[in-house]
Amino acid sequence: MSTEIDLGLGVLDHQLIDSEGRRCGNADDLELEGVREGEPRVVAILTGPAAWRGRGFFGRLAASVVRGDLVRIPWEEVAEIESGVHLRKTARELRLGRGDDRVRRWIEKLPGSSL
Amino acid sequence: MKNVFGIALGILAAIGGFVDIGDIVFNVAAGATFGYQLLWAVVLGVGGIITYAEMCGRVGAVSKTAVFDAVRERLGFGVGFVALLAGELVNLMTLAAEIGGVAIALQLLSGLSYRALLVLAVLVLALVLWLMPFQWIERIFGYCGLALLVFVVAAFKLHPDWGAVAHGFVPSTGSGNGWVYAYFLVGLAGAAMIPYEVYFYSSGAIEEQWGPKDLGLNRANAVIGYSLGGLLSFALMISAGALLLPQGINAELLGTAALVAEAPLGQAGLILALVGILFAVSGAAIDSAFAGAYSVAQFFGWEWGKYRHNAGAPRFTLAWMVMIVLAFLIVVTGVDPIMVTELSVIFSVVALPLTYIPILLVANDRAYMGNYANGVVANILGVFYLVVVLVIAVAAIPLLVLSNMGQG
Amino acid sequence: MRLSELLGLSVHTESGGSLGRVHDVRAELTPRTLKVTGLVVGRLGLLERLGLGAPTSAARLRTRDVIPWKDVLRADRRGVVVRDGAKPR
Repeated sequence: MSTEIDLGLGVLDHQLIDSEGRRCGNADDLELEGVREGEPRVVAILTGPAAWRGRGFFGRLAASVVRGDLVRIPWEEVAEIESGVHLRKTARELRLGRGDDRVRRWIEKLPGSSL
Repeated sequence: MKNVFGIALGILAAIGGFVDIGDIVFNVAAGATFGYQLLWAVVLGVGGIITYAEMCGRVGAVSKTAVFDAVRERLGFGVGFVALLAGELVNLMTLAAEIGGVAIALQLLSGLSYRALLVLAVLVLALVLWLMPFQWIERIFGYCGLALLVFVVAAFKLHPDWGAVAHGFVPSTGSGNGWVYAYFLVGLAGAAMIPYEVYFYSSGAIEEQWGPKDLGLNRANAVIGYSLGGLLSFALMISAGALLLPQGINAELLGTAALVAEAPLGQAGLILALVGILFAVSGAAIDSAFAGAYSVAQFFGWEWGKYRHNAGAPRFTLAWMVMIVLAFLIVVTGVDPIMVTELSVIFSVVALPLTYIPILLVANDRAYMGNYANGVVANILGVFYLVVVLVIAVAAIPLLVLSNMGQG
Repeated sequence: MRLSELLGLSVHTESGGSLGRVHDVRAELTPRTLKVTGLVVGRLGLLERLGLGAPTSAARLRTRDVIPWKDVLRADRRGVVVRDGAKPR
């Protein structure tokens, strides 16, 4: 069972959502393989500030201001594509949303952080 | 359970929450300068925010994506980034103006020092944002903002020339300095259509967990709630026109706005006016802080929303905290908050096209909206207001200069 | 190769005729894979940049011309070259 989709319109820049429904970044770029061999396919989603470098002038500008690694999500981890890209594992397992984890550590110290 | 009662409550909150410091400043100043001649400008602005708020609410309810999610998905990284920067700059200026307005209102009520009250305002706003659930915030500040209805009473008690008032609803070029008139026209329409409102409204739809079944509620909030909210703007201008213009009083202070309610209604009028201003402007401060946090979180794909709780959306929470601190730093320099208000409205006007164009695109996109995409009416209004917004965006800064910021 | 490198590349035929630029990449999504099937090519006008001239259906597709990948001879940083007579469907 397959559907047709346009990568720029339907996948690129869309929200990544982990298996628990948590938002954990955007699909900042896609890694293709087999372009030269004539059998191109998407093998991974690239996310993180380093991935913005390929996104034009403002991408490079943003990448130089914001520090952060590039995280590579193999395409097998994608469960389905609705509006967002739903992943098979949790954000933690895929090394996503670590910015939120870092900030959460000190927010949790404040009383009322669960409100 | 969205029954009639629930809808009525939502409308009440929308009415009380409609007015912000920009509306107050521009409506009172326009009344003091041009009497009732610019009432039609308010109608124009209110029509615009109704059109686009309804679209934003529908986009949020049906596609479960907020405006800024969609901006990046639809228009790409570059366009989205520029829209983000412009939007955040404007949100920050608006927030600074609202916080300044809160401090002035507190000063008029308490007589304490402005700077001390700035600190108090910021602390209380941060506490409210930290402790209260989304729905409570909207309801409480919305309902208490209804105290502004005192201006409707004041407008009647001041016995304006209702014939002249009626004339004011007809578009005209006005009498007096043309540049100043045009400046107020842009400011009044812009103050009604300010960007943080639409960013906030679409994210609010998701905070409130709206779905397609809530589209009636959305429409009621936007159409009825904001129309009646517009009545408050009319009341401000009419009262100011009836009281200030004949006496040649310049409306450069927020206190003058409150006096407009005191003259016909005495102490009670003054207190109600100040309380109404306090809650309406505080509500606007909260909404613009949220709007700033929503935008940046949505662009970068972070978790966001008060419904995720503070620790559940850490960078989003940090974002609104940073917004408040930055806004505080702007106003604590002692800059005139009324001037910040006027500048924030004018710069918002310049950013309006970049805000509204993506909304119109997404609201028409069937991949997001399915069968709920814009119909003919929404599109006619949407395109009409897009043209309006483009025109005033181009005219805004030149008019700011040519009219000497409304001073002539 | 990354998608960002492919988007916006100029597209020419073997004999040098210009077909415009790559607007988007058409792919086939299955439960486990995402295979590229063609290129959405055309003049990169303002409308295309804004995503207009795009879906009237619920599918996330641009309705503009797609050149099937089998007609693509080469695609790298220099640009995309397709067979003469390759027709966008």
